[in-house]
Parts: sequence; structure tokens; C-alpha cells
Amino acid sequence: MNGFLNVSSSPHVRGADSSRSIMYDVALALLPATAFGVYRFGIYSLLVLLVSVGFALLSEYMFQTLTNQKVTVSDGSALVTGLLLGLNLPPTVPLWIPALGSIFAVVFVKQFFGGLGQNFMNPALGARCFLLISFTGIMSDYVVDGVSGATPLAQLASGQAVNLSSAFLGFTGGTIGEVSELAVLIGGIYMLVKKIITWEIPVLYLASFAVFELIFGAQSGDLAFVAAQLCSGGIMLGAFFMATDYVTSPITKKGKILYGILLGVLTGILRTFGSSAEGVSYAIIISNLLVPLIEKVTMPTAFGYAPGALEGKKAVSIKSYMPAVKLCTITLAAGLALGGVYQLTKGPIEKAELAAQAEAYAAVCPDAESFDTDEKLEETIASLTAEDGTVADGKFGNVVYESAYAALDAEGVQNGYVVNVTSKEGFGGDITLSIGFDSELAITGMEFLAISETAGLGMRATEDTFKDQYIGDAVEEFELTKDAAKDDTQIQAMSGATVTSTAVTNAVNAALYLVNSAAE
Amino acid sequence: MKLATFKGGVHPDDGKRFSKDKPIQTYLPKGELVFPLSQHIGAPAKPVVQKKDRVLMGQKIAQAGGFVSADIVSSVSGTVKAIEPRLTVSGAKIDAIVIENDGEYTPVEGIGKYRDYTKLTKQEILDAVKEAGIVGLGGAGFPTHVKLMPKDPDAIDYVIVNGAECEPYLTSDYREMLEDPEHIVGGLKVMLQLFDNAKGVIAVEANKPVGIKNLQELVKNESRIEVVPLKTKYPQGAERNLIYAVTGRKINSTKLPADAGCIVDNVDTVIAIHMAVCESTPLMRRIVTVTGDGIAQPGNFSVKIGTSFAELAEAAGGLKEGVKKVIAGGPMMGMSIPSLDVPIVKTSSALTCMMQDDVERYEETVCIRCGRCVQVCPSNIVPQKMMDAAMKYDTAEFVRLNGMECCECGSCTFACPARRPLTQAFRQMRQAVMAERRKKG
Repeated sequence: MNGFLNVSSSPHVRGADSSRSIMYDVALALLPATAFGVYRFGIYSLLVLLVSVGFALLSEYMFQTLTNQKVTVSDGSALVTGLLLGLNLPPTVPLWIPALGSIFAVVFVKQFFGGLGQNFMNPALGARCFLLISFTGIMSDYVVDGVSGATPLAQLASGQAVNLSSAFLGFTGGTIGEVSELAVLIGGIYMLVKKIITWEIPVLYLASFAVFELIFGAQSGDLAFVAAQLCSGGIMLGAFFMATDYVTSPITKKGKILYGILLGVLTGILRTFGSSAEGVSYAIIISNLLVPLIEKVTMPTAFGYAPGALEGKKAVSIKSYMPAVKLCTITLAAGLALGGVYQLTKGPIEKAELAAQAEAYAAVCPDAESFDTDEKLEETIASLTAEDGTVADGKFGNVVYESAYAALDAEGVQNGYVVNVTSKEGFGGDITLSIGFDSELAITGMEFLAISETAGLGMRATEDTFKDQYIGDAVEEFELTKDAAKDDTQIQAMSGATVTSTAVTNAVNAALYLVNSAAE
Repeated sequence: MKLATFKGGVHPDDGKRFSKDKPIQTYLPKGELVFPLSQHIGAPAKPVVQKKDRVLMGQKIAQAGGFVSADIVSSVSGTVKAIEPRLTVSGAKIDAIVIENDGEYTPVEGIGKYRDYTKLTKQEILDAVKEAGIVGLGGAGFPTHVKLMPKDPDAIDYVIVNGAECEPYLTSDYREMLEDPEHIVGGLKVMLQLFDNAKGVIAVEANKPVGIKNLQELVKNESRIEVVPLKTKYPQGAERNLIYAVTGRKINSTKLPADAGCIVDNVDTVIAIHMAVCESTPLMRRIVTVTGDGIAQPGNFSVKIGTSFAELAEAAGGLKEGVKKVIAGGPMMGMSIPSLDVPIVKTSSALTCMMQDDVERYEETVCIRCGRCVQVCPSNIVPQKMMDAAMKYDTAEFVRLNGMECCECGSCTFACPARRPLTQAFRQMRQAVMAERRKKG
């Protein structure tokens, strides 16, 4: 015996798990999704992940060093944040995106609020939403094998069917980590088995979302649609890895239940009624903000304080559930109100939109008196669009046919077409065009329904100088050139706005392809 | 079969391998014996002997100092050497009677005389228990005769023998189930004599199958007694959890087991009751497990109360070189002691010697809000938030968060991956709140 014995307050033994071992276990659980993402999207996506993890670690180290704090880079939390952020990015983003995102996540969302354990919002998701808002175009461009394609979610949002097994296995478009639900599930089950997470949040999140989609979804009552929704986008990754983030989720059991349900409903609302097809990230960060409130209303009744406890009655005290029930009711009511208003106003809005569109159509088809749906056109759109949303084998990049109508003259005889087409590859997001054709399939006019390109550069596409190049000629396909156009089939690109020029030309060519195919 | 249990709890390494196969050996002390006057809950006892008095084994040397208090009996014959403050396991110096053992073990008259408990009145049984100085030997040390006198004895419908022994490393109750099960059942029968409407339950964790089998064999013809196996989980044997597991009734910190119709006593206490009532033998010995990787020959010992831990450790082969921590009791709720020169008291269930100290080994990190403390808390409270209140020394908030419901079992601290000293903070806060309440009256 060497003198003194240690003295401390009991208990004198500690469990095996440490915060660090838990963090590394989470990273391990993310491995299947990571590996599949890299396998699916190639080595560049690995680079994206390395940059996001590297910058997360570096930001943490730099911030803590510069602010004279104890450096805790090795605790694994920055690693998990960086990895999660990377997995939430499209596979072909430029490398400054993960770098910027990781800095934002670690410094702004986490460290500015006090570091590990103090942040009120999931750092990876906070950063993702920051990137999504700031760089919409880049952050919603999902490229697979060099081709931009619609994600399963975008397809679902535009009413198309999704191949369930390929969505589940992950042979679709999406962010690096979200595509394979199977890989995410493997990691999720690992965490459940190792008791890193409890079942309440992921299970209730997915269940309440499924119920919501079943009742209020675009195809309510359709189980296949619900399954497709569950296998699309980031909901699985979100439910198992982001919603369960310790710091930003409730610690009480009832709180976890309430939080899970709230997440499902919010995601349902955002996906069904929101302007974007995805809603997981926003649903989670909104719910993150509600966590202190949720914990407050779900404090457990201490052992032996429930009515009838002394007599051994298993009386469920309704009173103790009331605050939680109230919060849930308010959330549901808000969701339903939102849905209800949307449903009520859907008709009038559609009419107004149609009227506005009719005006636009009249502008692009000056000879037409009215417009009507055309079976042949609908069929052609369907036949040109592959199941995964690709149009004409990706010949025109990432384009989507919005709608197409036959133009009719005063006697009701068809004298042309109008096609609405969107290119997803604008510099600042979607570019939607309405293009009119006469009976010779020459373009009679074109109008931009949606465009948000750079002013003075891409925005010049709306000027007649550029637009007029397309008008008046019956050609099969336009070709973009940097120099002055040699003939009618050539379009001179706007200098300094090649991306916009390409997107517009692709959209016009897609429309041409459609009317030519339909007229055959 | 579904085992009776409670919600929450943890599964620390049970460490019972060190001593569970070691039969109980009787150890007779050599030097002086120290009897602190406060080795039970309630008022300290008052000495009834003086320095230089000769005392006999089994003679009362201190008398209960109030209603909730207990007599103290000398476990040896010898001379009163001093009545002075002595260091105890709590680290405080407490007034104690020091007796120089003459090695004769001369008993007072009447010890060991057989009594038929069925022929005794209830009051005679209670008096026998009181005279024997019995307190809860499981660790709390609540005077047993007080426990056996609830306001309404007819409302008691369960007498529970706590044989959970959920505290890691401890094996004394288990050994008694193997070596002396008759005394356990006998003691329970004495207790049932006091409560006409009660059913007797011996509750044992399922990790002691042989113990369960022995007891079941003994009670198979006893219509009033049942053996209930419990799920192996810490703190299954904490009184509130045990009552819930057995009866489904929940008591909070403001209630007594009797409020839920229950009387709960530990295995060794029940044996002491049997010895006091049927064999006219007061509480002079207890079973102590000497265990851990830091002791040369772990084992279970029947020890005279008042013996020094140092002597007992020597009897078990001595501490190993480099031992880090020595605990009076088990690793979850025991008290670490700075020195072995403290006496074994009525509530000393074990001496756990550890070569490694987890508390020293792990560094505390920040809370990551994993919620494990909430999941494991048997009192269904929220340690994470209580810790926030404790860090601010906000006693009002601590009370509002039901902090006073904490039973200091240590489950949250064991489970915490950030290794925060939660239980320590709660213990401090609870003491602060109780002090405040005493001040207000």
C-alpha cells in the first residue's frame, strides 16, 4: 500500500460508454450509407465527404484554439457533424460548398452557442439549410453518371411513379447519404441494438409521417405512394441520424414520443403543401427549436406521485398527458388548417393560374383563339419521360415537361401547340418557358414563366435580341455557338452566360422534340 | 416466467465471482473494539457503561437515545477502555465506546436460551427485537423495532424479505441463503406473527438460482410464504423498487413502506430477528463480504460488530500492493474510506477493495444530453435538469424538479457517458435542502 487511498462520493464504478465512444459509434453506423454513396456516385463524392469532415475538424480546432478553449476535436462530435453534412449534399457540388458548410455548422451553429451540448439546432442541418437558401441551384442539382436527373421526390411531387425497390436500395438520385434507405436502416438498427438511440423518435417519426401521407398526401389512400415517400429523399437518414441527435432532441420519454410525431406531421405538411419536394431538414430544425418547450410539457411524474400509485393502481393519469396532448393538438390543427386552406384555395388558384397562363399562351401563339388538352401530346410526354424522370434519355440535360396543349383557331381547328418546359439547369435555379408553335412547327413566340438568372448576364435571355433567334424557323434542333450564328439552326450564346444559354436552348430543343414526336 | 422488476436501472459488472463460492468464516477479533454511538438512523444511543467498567458479551453498553434510535450491545467481553470520538466510515469522528477484548467471550446470562416465538405475545417479540439492538443491516440502519410497529399493524399485507442483493460484489445474503436458509424463513415467520393479515415474501434476484431453490424448498409447506424471483438489475433491492416489483405499489420519498401495507427487511436483519427472538441472542455479529481484485483472499466473514476493518482485511490475506480504493459497502452505494482503521458497524455489509478507480480514471466532459440518466432513473426524475439546478446551487429549482425523490442509487452517474458526478451533486443538494428545511422548522 502506497500511502493514501482514493476517496470519492459513490458510485465508484462507471459504465463503459463515453461520449467519445458514442460519437464514434454513430460515425460507424453511418458507414454503410457513406460506402454506398461513394459506390453509387463515384470517387468525387468521397472527396466531398473528406472536405466536409476535414473542415469540420479544422473549424473546431481553430475556433477552440483562437478562443483559448480546451481543444476537443477528438471527441468525435465534429467528425459526426462533418460527415452528416457531407452526406446531406448532392454528390457533385463544388468543393467550396462542403468547406463553407462545415465552417458554418461548427462555428456558427455550434461554437457560437457554447459548443457541444449547447447548440439549439442540429449543426449539420443548420448548415444544409443555410447552403440550400444561399446556393439553391447548386444544392438542388442532383447529377448521376454525369446527367442531372429528377430525384424520386421530385418525381413524386410532379405526380410520377417511383420504382420502389431501386429507391429503397438506392439506385436513384439524391444526396450522397440519403439515396439508399437500406444502408441507412442498417446503421439505424445498429444504433438501436447498441442502445445509442431509443426507438421512439425514428419509429414515431416514420409512422406519423406515413399516416399523414396516407390521409393528406397527393395520392391519399395509396399505400404504394406512402412507401415511395418513405423511401425517397432524406426522411430515413433524418429519422435515424438527424432527428435523434442528442443535443437537439428531447431527453424525456414522452418528449421523444411527441417530438417524433411532430416531425412526421411537419415533414408531411412540408412535403405535401410546401413549395419544395423535400421537407425533412426544415421539419427537423423547426422541431429542434421546440425542444425546450416539449421538455417542459413532458416532464415525467416522479415515482410514486401518480394518483393511485400507493394502492398499486395502474391508473393512467390523463392530467399528466394534458400539456403534451395540447401541444400535439395545436400542431395538428395548424397542419390541418394549412392543408385545409390549401385545398379550399386550390380551385380558385388553379383557375387564376390558368387564366394567367392563357394570356401567356396567347402571347406565344398569336393566331390561336383557345387552347385545349390533347391526348396525343399527353401520351408523347409520358413516352418521352422515363420512370426516373429523365426526358429523352437525358439528351437535353435535366429538363421536365410541365404541360402541353393544342392551339385552336376560331373554328376550333388545331393550328399549333403550346409547350411549357422547365430546365433545371439554370444558373440560379429552374427556368420555365412557354413556347408556341404554328402548324408548320415553327416557333411563334416564347415567354419565360420562371427565371432567376444573374441580372445583366443570364437575365438577358428574356430580352428580344436573344429570344428572337429562336422564332420563325421550323428547325428540328437548335445548336448553340459562341460565335455569330451562321444559319437558322444556330443560336449565339450570351457572352458570360453560357449556362443560361445552354439551359434555354435545351428547353427549346426539348419542346421541339416533343412537338415533332407528337406530329409524326 | 416473467420476473418481477421495476422501470429503469443499470447493469454494472456484478463482481460476485470473487466471493460467491466462499463459505462464511467466523472471525474473532484480537484488539480493541469500537462501537460508535450513532450507527443507525435517528438519535445517537446513550452510553450506559463507564470507562474501566467490565462488560460481558451481549451486555447492553448504550441505550436508544429516542424513539427512533437503537440500543448497542457489546459483542465481546472485556473492559471499557474509553468513550471518545473515533473515526468512522463516513470520515467523521463520532463518539464511540472502545472496549478492550479480553478474548474470553464470556456471555451475559441467558444468551442462547431457546424461546418458542408462537408462545410469545406481540409486545414480547417487539421488546426482544428492541433489546437486541437490531437495525436494518442492508445499509440504511433504520431501527427494526420501530419499523415493526406501524400505526396500523392490521393494514400490513406484505412482509418482504429483501434478498435482492443487487449491489455489485456483495455475496453475504447469498451465502446465508446457501448456508442458513432456515434462519431466514424462521425470522420471517416471527415477523408474520406480528402481522395477522400479511403474506410473507422472500424476494431474490434471479442471479441466485441456488438460493431461490433452497428457500422454495423450505417454504413449500408454508401457506403464508412465497419466494419471488426478481430480474437481475441494479437497484432492484432499493426499498421503493422492491415494493413496486413485488406488489405493484409505488411509494415516494414522503411515504413509508407501511403506508403501502409493506414491511421490508434485509436477509441478515431477518436472521438477526430470529436469533433475538428464538435464541435470545442480541445483534453482535454481521456477515461482511471482503471482496474485489484488491484483496488477497476474498471471502465472506461472520464478524463481531466493532472489529476494525484493518483486522478483517488482514484476515482476508491483506490488501494487494497498489490498491487504489477501499469501499465500506459495494461500489454503487458504499462509502470509500481513506484508512482501514475504522470499525465495522451494524450497517457495514462489505469491504470492497479495487485496484482501479473509475472515478479517478475517467475525465468529466460536457453533457451531450443523451438522456441516459433519464432512462435509467428508478425514481422517474430528470437528473440532467437537476444537475443544471445543482450547478447553480438553486435549491428551489432542485426541489421543483423533484430532486428530493432521488434515492442516490448512482444509476445516472454509472450510465452518464460524460462521467459527470451527478449523484455527488444531488447528495449535496439534498443535504442543503434538508438543512434549509430544518432551519425553517
